[in-house]
Amino acid sequence: MPDNWGYVVAAYAVAAVFLGAYWRYLARRARQLDAYSLRRRRPPSMGHREPRAHVPAP
Amino acid sequence: MRRTTIRVLGWLTVLALLLGLVWGFGVAPREVTQGNVQRIMYLHVPSAIVGEYVGFGVLFLASIAYLLTRSERADRLARASAEVAVVLLAITIVSGSIWGKPTWGTWWTWDARLTTVTILFVMGLAYLLLRGMIEDGERAARFGAVLGILAPLNVPLVHFSVYWWRTLHQPPSLLKPGPSMISGDAIKDALYINLAAFVLLYAYLVATRVRLLRREVEALA
Amino acid sequence: MSFGRRAYVVLWKDVLIECRSKEALNALVFFSLLLLFLFQFALGGDRDHLTAALPGLLWLGFILAGLLALGRSFLIERENDCWEGLLLAPGDKSAIYLGKLAGNLLLMFAVEALVLLLFVVFFNVDVAGVLPALVAVIGLGTVGLAALGTLFAGMTAHVRARELLFPVLVLPLQVPLLLGTVRATEAVLSREGLAAVGHWLALLGAADVIFLVAGFLTFEFILEG
Repeated sequence: MPDNWGYVVAAYAVAAVFLGAYWRYLARRARQLDAYSLRRRRPPSMGHREPRAHVPAP
Repeated sequence: MRRTTIRVLGWLTVLALLLGLVWGFGVAPREVTQGNVQRIMYLHVPSAIVGEYVGFGVLFLASIAYLLTRSERADRLARASAEVAVVLLAITIVSGSIWGKPTWGTWWTWDARLTTVTILFVMGLAYLLLRGMIEDGERAARFGAVLGILAPLNVPLVHFSVYWWRTLHQPPSLLKPGPSMISGDAIKDALYINLAAFVLLYAYLVATRVRLLRREVEALA
Repeated sequence: MSFGRRAYVVLWKDVLIECRSKEALNALVFFSLLLLFLFQFALGGDRDHLTAALPGLLWLGFILAGLLALGRSFLIERENDCWEGLLLAPGDKSAIYLGKLAGNLLLMFAVEALVLLLFVVFFNVDVAGVLPALVAVIGLGTVGLAALGTLFAGMTAHVRARELLFPVLVLPLQVPLLLGTVRATEAVLSREGLAAVGHWLALLGAADVIFLVAGFLTFEFILEG
């Protein structure tokens, strides 16, 4: 019987693709989590402080 | 599980998988009837066993644990186990199909194992779909646990019914599955090594996923 | 109120509502007729094809009608804002499961009787002498289907896209039952006799027990606030 190495490679390649895809999915979620928690830990900006002209009350 | 433990587990997994590849391609001999195509078995059978028995088994136990204790850890374990099981079963189905083409002549045949694995795969997908479609986390966990108990209970029923369906409907000559020719110690060794590697792979992926789920909950709290 | 009484109250309420409106029954009767046409047009050309496929078609018909009938198990509670009533009901919630299950079984048997009658008439199915055996097989199969369907109907009652999720949950678990009932029906209709498929009947019985027990034990988790 011919050896059909192509099929063997194909099977293992598909397995690698599936596992790799799942791994990337986990890694992506972890990165999103890191970014999210980093944003939360940064102190909130104080917002605009407009220069107030001192207008004396009439 | 702590981060470093998971890292160590990951490296162990890589090592084991490499060892499995070496044994499967280097040490194990070329099979007599099928030729080298038979080496797909070192991928197909371990993923089937781990996905079906370990994955669904853990799903079953964790689901029961959740309903009894309402432990969120149990729920995370159930969910992670279902996810990894689905991935492994997908690998099983595709590798089985690829193996079948040169050996049986067709891309698909409704043989007992492939059919059973496909049904399990669909049940796992149904579980993930159910959890994805329920917004409320607690409800998703609860309903998921109910399905997580029922689906594995169905596994023996599926096994028997599909097996009887095949053997009593087709002449035995068409039943040429994979490893009926497990002869020779080298082949068995390669199979066991790969099986252990896949168990480690499962453990690593589940641990990673569980940790990720926990972090997500903590981040949103 | 005892367990049995509470289950009976649920059953009686549903039966009464259905008897007055006949909503589900009418739709399912019509659906059965449509199924008949579907099967005939899809397979009808060759008489032999149809005859060979009859056990499978019969159960396809039962399952399709069952998906419709069982999917609406909790429709009245959901649409009439009575869901909280179920949640707040005192005592063991599995009494509600039993009541709903009984109601579903009655509905399913009625529809199945009609489908079977249509098959006998339009597809020339010969049931002389085997009717009791056939009824036994149909009973075994329907109990399992209804047990699963009632449980998952409760689960999907408040999920969006429940019409999609319900079949996705029921059908994979239904596979062993389908395989068993079709094979058993085949044996009955071809006069092989039930003894030839004893192992299938045992499987169906085991499946029914598993699904019923699981349904009873887990239903209260579905009806929690």
